[in-house]
Parts: sequence; structure tokens; C-alpha cells
Amino acid sequence: MLQEADIGVGISGVEGMQAVMSSDIAIAQFRYLERLLLVHGHWCYRRISSMICYFFYKNITFGLSIFLYEAYASFSGQPAYNDWFLSLYNVFFTSLPVIALGVFDQDVSPRCSIKFPLLYQEGVQNALFSWRRIIGWMINGFCSAVIIFFFCTNAMEKQAFNHSGKTAGRGILGATIYTCVVWTVNIQMALSINYFTIIQHILIWGSIAFWYIFMLAYGAITPTFSTNAYKVFIEALAPAPSFWLVTLFVSFSAVVPYFSFSAIQMWFFPMYHQMIQWIKQEGQSDDPEYCEMVRQRSLRPNTVGFTARAVARTNRLKDRNRNHSRY
Amino acid sequence: MMTGETSSAPSGKTKSRKPKYSRFSQQELPACKPILTPGWVITAFLCVGIVFIPVGLATFFASERVVEVVDRYDQDCIPPEYRNDSLEYIQSTLTDKTCDRSLIVPKQMKGPVFIYYELDNFYQNHRRYVKSRSDKQLRSKASESDTDNCKPEAVTLSNAPIVPCGLVAWSLFNDTYGFSVKSKVLDVSKKNIAWKSDQEHKFGSDVYPKNFQSGTLIGGARLNSSIPLSEQVDLIVWMRTAALPTFRKLYGRIEVDLEANDIIEVTIKNNYNTYSFGGKKKLVLSTTSWIGGKNGFLGRAYLTVGGLSLLFAVGFIIIYVFKPRPLGDPSYLSWNRNPAGI
Repeated sequence: MLQEADIGVGISGVEGMQAVMSSDIAIAQFRYLERLLLVHGHWCYRRISSMICYFFYKNITFGLSIFLYEAYASFSGQPAYNDWFLSLYNVFFTSLPVIALGVFDQDVSPRCSIKFPLLYQEGVQNALFSWRRIIGWMINGFCSAVIIFFFCTNAMEKQAFNHSGKTAGRGILGATIYTCVVWTVNIQMALSINYFTIIQHILIWGSIAFWYIFMLAYGAITPTFSTNAYKVFIEALAPAPSFWLVTLFVSFSAVVPYFSFSAIQMWFFPMYHQMIQWIKQEGQSDDPEYCEMVRQRSLRPNTVGFTARAVARTNRLKDRNRNHSRY
Repeated sequence: MMTGETSSAPSGKTKSRKPKYSRFSQQELPACKPILTPGWVITAFLCVGIVFIPVGLATFFASERVVEVVDRYDQDCIPPEYRNDSLEYIQSTLTDKTCDRSLIVPKQMKGPVFIYYELDNFYQNHRRYVKSRSDKQLRSKASESDTDNCKPEAVTLSNAPIVPCGLVAWSLFNDTYGFSVKSKVLDVSKKNIAWKSDQEHKFGSDVYPKNFQSGTLIGGARLNSSIPLSEQVDLIVWMRTAALPTFRKLYGRIEVDLEANDIIEVTIKNNYNTYSFGGKKKLVLSTTSWIGGKNGFLGRAYLTVGGLSLLFAVGFIIIYVFKPRPLGDPSYLSWNRNPAGI
């Protein structure tokens, strides 16, 4: 049965380890099951769905910026960035913050997760990984890439880009757009996380810092390897105020749409876990009457499985009338 | 994942199986959990607005101070008898390519005044064009025969290597400009127009041009074979491929000031063939500021985004004043508004 189930939970105990060995998750006592489901189950669902949506977002932002450049390179297949920049995007500069999201993020504290079991329903009813959310994140990536690319190319087009009159070539423009992409996806990550420990700070800001260090290090290698990235940061970009101004401007402008959307959603249309965050922040979560009322809501007979979902969908009207009379 | 009491074993007999507690493994690290309250949102937008607007103003005015003179000359420099047959004109070696233009300086241009040539519809960023060069060969004499990537401009008919090989070098821009104002010739300085790293590390000082432009199809300038590549600054500037199909490259510098309403007589040698692909050639004279050349986009964009942020901040403040979130009202819970599901 453990093997047949979607998730098999085995309890290790005096009767031996057989159940544990054929299960997906092992716990020590039966009462830990509540915590396993309500705390870790809820967190796990949220982490995985956020992580996947974010992965789509960051790769669409990156890939679309390259694609937009092709329109200006007569679609010949010339990438905007140096080869090693392309290869290492998903390895060094944007991979570790995703670990911060997918392994450590907590949208509500463990105490609140147990206090409001209805949060578990978010997973059952697939509230955080619906098509709407996935496509929303993709559109976010699309908008970010368009903003980054067109702002960078318009700010650094044909005129001289520093005081000594030199114009920006492909290496310089490519490095600038890449810098803006790295900044934008990492700021986006900082906006998506709800839980900031020292680890998150190190991973997010460290990835950005690592990009600058990498530009310095790669630019110092002989031009046989670094081709057009040779000394691009130290000689061309760092001394030019326009590089820093363009980076600052583009990174923040690219996240303004998401930030505004997120602010409006949090304020006027909060989702369940956001409501809990509001309640926690305003100190309501200690009110026993209030919590009891909320907890009652989750003790409904058919709350899991496909049939229950179908029933809930069709019986919305009946349910509403019934519940209004209860309260 | 195991929290709670120790396993129920007689004390002293069996060791406790409870794993060692650490804040990291129990996910209880000290954390801050910021949420987007109205206060934070309004503060963020105000900060963005307050930072962006002054920066935008500074950038915009810096760009406005730059004086730029742009002159498109490729159409007007074709003599009248060749107006319908520009290709014949440009490819023939017998026609006179000299062209005289007059530019009027609109405002005082403080030296150094930078001279650029601007090309349009020239895809220096095409993949096969960018590939067609040999960096090894440019750097040292020993790699002279490393011409694999450079086809079709790799070797001569007798299989001798072309130095520098490849299409990028072969298409070197070869219009020249001479400037004079009030019949006094202006010196064009060619010092420091190429990036230092290019001159010192990418173009060798022991590499001399060889067999260059020796074929039947001439793509651009010829090179003086007694000057090493590290001093051929026009070539070095050209070989740094541009990012976009419309680009400018630095030709030289005029060190003196140019006064307002000066008439600059330019003597152009209209050698370069942009007629066969519908390209445009322009001559640009420009000063620079701390931000670079003339481009109002960055300044205007900063001002726009800063203004929008302030607008958002004001909007949020108004909404907050008139319609504050009722704190802790349970009827706002979505399962009470929409009780049957999420």
C-alpha cells in the first residue's frame, strides 16, 4: 500500500523497519503525522510551485533577451553575450537563490500552519500552481525581458558611452544587458521570498556580487579564452557612469510591474496564506475565538480527492447558503 | 522533522534517538518576514521617485549640454552624372571620390570634439561576419597561418596567408575626412581612439599586414605594411564589432574649441561602398559630457519612471486614506466571501 500510494508515510517503531524501508517518508511517532502534513506538506507544496514558476520566469527573461537581440542581428544566430556568460547563467548567477526559495522558504510559521489547517487545502486544490499563475509568471518574464532589452539598447545605442568618446560595441552592450538580467531576476527573487534569514541574503546578494567578481576574473584571462569579454568590466564598464546608471534604472524598472501587482494583490485580494500573514502581523492570531472559528472551517467531510473537488465546484451555491446560515 | 519529547525508553538504558537540535535543521533560524504592507509599498515607491527624479534631471541636462552635428553625405556625394548608377561610381578606380561638405556649428563646442563615422544597415553583428577573424593571428607573428575561421578571406590564390585575415578586417572602413575652419586646417588626432586593452593585448606589435586586399574584390581600406597592427588604430577600432546595425565608430579627435556659427569645411574621400546594400554613411561631430554622448533617452526614462513611482505612491496614499484595510475583519476572509472553495 505504501508503494502504491502517491506518498507513503511509514512509522518506525518496535514492530520493525519494514514500513520505513518501503515508504517515501518515515516518521517516529504517529502524532508527528499532523506536523508532517500541515507544516511540511504545506511548505513543500508552496516551495515547489514557487520554484518551478520562478525557473520559468528567469529562463524566459534570459532567453527572450537573447531572442530580441537576434532581431537586430538579422537572425543570424549571433548571441548577445559571450559564450561562457551564456553557459554559466544557470550555474552560478541564478541557481543558488532558487535553492533559497525551494529549500528554505516559509510563508507562514509552523505554529500558524498547525493553527490554520485550511492552508493545507491550498495544495489539495492546486491554488498555487494553476495555469493562471504559471502563465502569469511567464508573462512577467516576457515583460521583464522586453523592458531590459529595449531600455538597455536605447540607452546605449550609437552615441559615446563614456567621457573619452568611445562607443559601446557588442561586448560592452552584451555585458550591460546581462548585468541587468542578473540584477532583475535576483531582485525578483527577493520580492518572492517571504522568509529572510542570513542564508537567503548570502545567496541572493552573493550571486549578484559573484557576477561582478566573475567579470573581473574572466576578463583577466588571456583574450584567447575571454575573447570579447577581456577586461570589459575593469576597463570599459566600471569607469563609465552610464553603465551604473543604466543598471540601476533597468533593474528597478523591470520589477516595478511585478511589485505593483504584488502590492495590489496583497492589499485587496490576498490569498489564504497572505491572510494568515496579515493576521499574524496585526496580532490577531492569538485570538482564540477567531482561530477556533477559522479552524472549524476546515473540518469538512469531503476535503480531499478528485470527487471532493468536483463536488465543491458544482455545489458552490448550495454551500454558500448553508454556511451563511451557520455564521 | 522529529520534534517533541524523547522516545519512551527507560532512562540510562537506551540512548535517546532524538536527533541533535540545531536551529538550521529545525528551520528556526532568526529571520525577518517582511510583508508588503501599505507602509512599505508607499515608502518603496517614494524612495524610487525621490532617487530617480534628480538622477534623471542630472542625466538629461548632461545630455542636453552635448553638442552634436550629424551630416549624411553618401547620397549627396555622388556626382550628378552617376546619380542613377552609384555602384558603378563607387567601384570604379577612375572616378574622383573627393567630396566637399560644409557643416555649421550650432553652439560652441568645447574641445576635444570627437569625430565619428556612422553606418546604417550594416550588420557587423552577423554571426558569420563576427566569426570571420583570427584573434591568434592578430596577436602574434607565430600564428600567421592560423586562418581557418577566416574563409573566404583566409589565403591568397597561391595559398599564402592573408594578415589580417577574415571579413571583418577585409571590410575596413576607408572614407577619410579633412577639416578646416576659416581656411585653417584642423588637426585630427588619432591618439587614444582605440581601447588600451585592444592595442596592448589583442593586436601584436610584431604583426605586419601581408597580402592584404590583394584579391580581385576589394572590401575596404588598404593597410600600410610597414606599420605593426598594434599601431593601426583605425583597424583596431573597426575590429571591435558593433552591437547593432546602426553604429558609430570613433575616427579621431579635434583638440581645439569650435565656436558657434563656425562653418567647417570637410573634405571627404567617399571611398566606402555602402550603396550595394542600401546602407547610409554619416559624419558626426560631437562633444561629450560625464555621461557620454547625446542621448536623452536615459534622462527621460529616469524622469518617467520616477514620476510614475511618485504617482503610484500618491495613489496608494489616497487609497489608504479613503479605504484602509479593515484590520482583522473576518468577513474579508476569502473563504467567508466564497465559502465553498478556494
